[in-house]
Amino acid sequence: MLSPERLALPDYEYLAQRHVLTYMEDAVCQLLENREDISQYGIARFFTEYFNSVCQGTHILFREFSFVQATPHNRVSFLRAFWRCFRTVGNGDLLTMKEYHCLLQLLCPDFPLELTQKAARIVLMDDAMDCLMSFSDFLFAFQIQFYYSEFLDSVAAIYEDLLSGKNPNTVIVPTSSSGQHRQRPALGEAGMLEGVEASLFYQCLENLCDRHKYSCPPPALVKEALSNVQRLTFYGFLMALSKHHGINQALGALPDKGDLMHDPAMDEELERLVVRSKLHRTSRQHRAKEPGAFGFQRREKQEALERVSSASVPMPYHYRWEPRE
Amino acid sequence: MDCQAEVNCGLHLVIQTSSLPEKNKVEFKLNKDTSSFPGRLLQHDLERNYSSRQGDHINLVSSSLSSFPILQRSSEEKILYSDRLSLERQKLTVCPIINGEDHLRLLNFQHNFITRIQNISNLQKLISLDLYDNQIEEISGLSTLRCLRVLLLGKNRIKKISNLENLKSLDVLDLHGNQITKIENINHLCELRVLNLARNFLSHVDNLNGLDSLTELNLRHNQITFVRDVDNLPCLQHLFLSFNNISSFDSVSCLADSSSLSDITFDGNPIAQESWYKHTVLQNMMQLRQLDMKRITEEERRMASVLAKKEEEKKRESHKQSLLKEKKRLTINNVARQWDLQQQRVANIATNEDRKDSDSPQDPCQIDGSTLSAFPEETGPLDSGLNNALQGLSVIDTYLVEVDGDTLSLYGSGALESLDRNWSVQTAGMITTVSFTFIEFDEIVQVLPKLKIKFPNSLHLKFKETNLVMLQQFNALAQLRRIDQLTIDPQGNPVVNFTLWKYYVLFRLSHFSMQKINGTEVTQNDMIMAERLFGILAHVASSELPQYRLISILGDARKKQFQYLLESKGKKPGIINEENNDSKRLVGENTNRATLNYTTRDFYNEKLEEIKEKKKFCKTYIEDLVKEATEINMKNEALQKLWPQMFIELVRDAVIEIRNKNSYMKLCLQQITDQK
Repeated sequence: MLSPERLALPDYEYLAQRHVLTYMEDAVCQLLENREDISQYGIARFFTEYFNSVCQGTHILFREFSFVQATPHNRVSFLRAFWRCFRTVGNGDLLTMKEYHCLLQLLCPDFPLELTQKAARIVLMDDAMDCLMSFSDFLFAFQIQFYYSEFLDSVAAIYEDLLSGKNPNTVIVPTSSSGQHRQRPALGEAGMLEGVEASLFYQCLENLCDRHKYSCPPPALVKEALSNVQRLTFYGFLMALSKHHGINQALGALPDKGDLMHDPAMDEELERLVVRSKLHRTSRQHRAKEPGAFGFQRREKQEALERVSSASVPMPYHYRWEPRE
Repeated sequence: MDCQAEVNCGLHLVIQTSSLPEKNKVEFKLNKDTSSFPGRLLQHDLERNYSSRQGDHINLVSSSLSSFPILQRSSEEKILYSDRLSLERQKLTVCPIINGEDHLRLLNFQHNFITRIQNISNLQKLISLDLYDNQIEEISGLSTLRCLRVLLLGKNRIKKISNLENLKSLDVLDLHGNQITKIENINHLCELRVLNLARNFLSHVDNLNGLDSLTELNLRHNQITFVRDVDNLPCLQHLFLSFNNISSFDSVSCLADSSSLSDITFDGNPIAQESWYKHTVLQNMMQLRQLDMKRITEEERRMASVLAKKEEEKKRESHKQSLLKEKKRLTINNVARQWDLQQQRVANIATNEDRKDSDSPQDPCQIDGSTLSAFPEETGPLDSGLNNALQGLSVIDTYLVEVDGDTLSLYGSGALESLDRNWSVQTAGMITTVSFTFIEFDEIVQVLPKLKIKFPNSLHLKFKETNLVMLQQFNALAQLRRIDQLTIDPQGNPVVNFTLWKYYVLFRLSHFSMQKINGTEVTQNDMIMAERLFGILAHVASSELPQYRLISILGDARKKQFQYLLESKGKKPGIINEENNDSKRLVGENTNRATLNYTTRDFYNEKLEEIKEKKKFCKTYIEDLVKEATEINMKNEALQKLWPQMFIELVRDAVIEIRNKNSYMKLCLQQITDQK
């Protein structure tokens, strides 16, 4: 714990790096907000609960967006919460960007639309924004966009520069030890071919990672993602990032793609709820009507409902809709 | 031999009695459609035992000189009947020349085949000329008959009234049974008392001015659709309009202004079939004594006025209703227009914010809230005095509140104020459906507590053009007592485009056990689906939130409701207590959902603004704390570093001090005495 690197940092920097102050400030703020209620059961208990919830990742639920994006840990918690809450929704339908945004707003009322739009652009490759997206596609793209949003902004700037021929490498003095400094002349041909050259692009990214104070994906993994292609477009790059399992694991928020729909603990809970709701309902229950009696089509067909007669058996999810590749 | 002549009013008799023994009969020829006239002249004459011969004493000698036959009578006859001559049924095709009879006063050409009136200009003393039942096509040849008083031209083929200019003494003009289409060229007949135009082709009646003596006008059996100028006839008493084409009283409205009319017939007209015929006529023509040849009794008159009053009432009522409807329509259009403007403005502001540069901030006051600024006076009461059939209506230019049986409709945000009014228990209790149109949902949310209290039976809510965009907004509906049906019109509510909105509604409002959404029944499967989709959200929201968050969120919700209530005008403490109980009960029912609340955007932003202050304070406070802590930490570290050295020095100092026992003892004692 008392490693030399840690002790080498001055106090403020250490605190800032771990975002301790953010949480402290927020805790005190919450305390002030709910003074009357909290004073009833003690401040010490409040702090305990607060930091427990920070650890568990439930502190971001229904909080304002400025708090949700304040620290990387918050972002990770938010992603995880979103996945857990709406996994069942994503199980069947494809939804539009606006609908996903709606769901996001359920957890964070003032979540900005631009972020969702950017995430949708990654999935749809900047194409028709009204297209439907699958839950997993959207979720992974959203993860990249939300967690690395500042990084991605800089990457976008770099990409634009490269496209227009400017080489950012000539502007700053690189201190990176790896890689050669291949000064290319103005890439007049870059506009003819799509995207930019992968290796050059990667160099710029590496420089970016070094001097960036926001979190970046691990350079090694980025290199891996870029290793197969010669040229790439911006959204192609992002798409590659989002689909890269390693990066996902490095983030640690979401399970692997294959396991995305799998959460046995929650499933059990859900079944219990469903049973309870059925008992709760009054005598109007026994109608043998088709599901989707509301008249609108569920976009991806799902007949599983009709097999639900007694809900105590958790539904095996591999019967249902397969995630799109 | 003398025979009696009889005259009956109502019949025009042409009496011809024969003096020949073998024709000892009286022939009556009744012309049905000719008018009755107490023709003084004729009566007078007929009383004089008018008798004429039929044929035998009249010789028609055809002259070789002209084509016209020449009439000759025996001098006996001439002396006996010097002033009258009858040539009926003589099979005449032309008028014969009548010589030497220039003092004739009565001339009868009935039932012949005469086509033109000729050869009578010399009979300048003629008073009565009868050409009934001939084939005359044009009125002519009468210009010298200045003394003519009775002109009978019935049953001919006359197409036009003309050439009567010199007949200024005309008393009776009979033109029935012809082909006349227009009343004209009679305005100079100021002594005319009887005018018969029955069985012609008249389509309307006008141009009657100048007939200052007219007492009887017969217009039966025409095609008359409207009547004018009758009020210009100062003496008109009898008007017969049977068997025409009159269908409304308006087309004969001039009759009401005629004070002389006492007898009128309308039978055979479409108007006579109407239910309101009799009393309308009686009501509008109080001077009438006889209608359709029947005397009008007092009873009938009374009934007529009563019925007419009722009609008037009904008309007024329906007029008022249609006015109200029109006003309502206009108001709704106005509200819709303002709503559109407001939406566009908001959209503009949203896009402006997106494009906002840091150095050119947009003025946020672009929305001027025009829908809320007007407070004109109200028109129309609204209370339990109205019965169920009528609409209670309060119409103002910028909003509209309407009660229609069991539905309360609100258009425009100004209408929300009306919930504060004193609604009678009866009216409010009957309302089961509340419909909101052209009102922002955020504004509706604020009045939901009021709705709950004032309209306890409202079970069906309808929203149209209310800007429902987020699923979250449905959370706000949870605070109501009960909803059985929910209708969200796709128009103006983008949220309906989401495939999952209904499931979310069912999930969030599951404690209502809603029966219908947008008209479709809710099934068990739907409920299960809703639960499956969002159950985890509820679970997370309830079980994974730390305790203090739960309390604060729920407390917030209650606080908000109180705030909304307190802002309303009619606040009563008793209600707030009820509120308390209600919300407690609700919370008990489904805790796991109760944390899913909706804060209107404005309120949310307000709250965030408020928090900013606190955040700043927290920041500085924590910074101070951190500074203190780091200082202490530094000091601690410094101490840690220095301590070993310090310790050694301390020990060394102490040892050096005590090395010489005697001097140390002396030193200590010295110190003690010094202290005293």
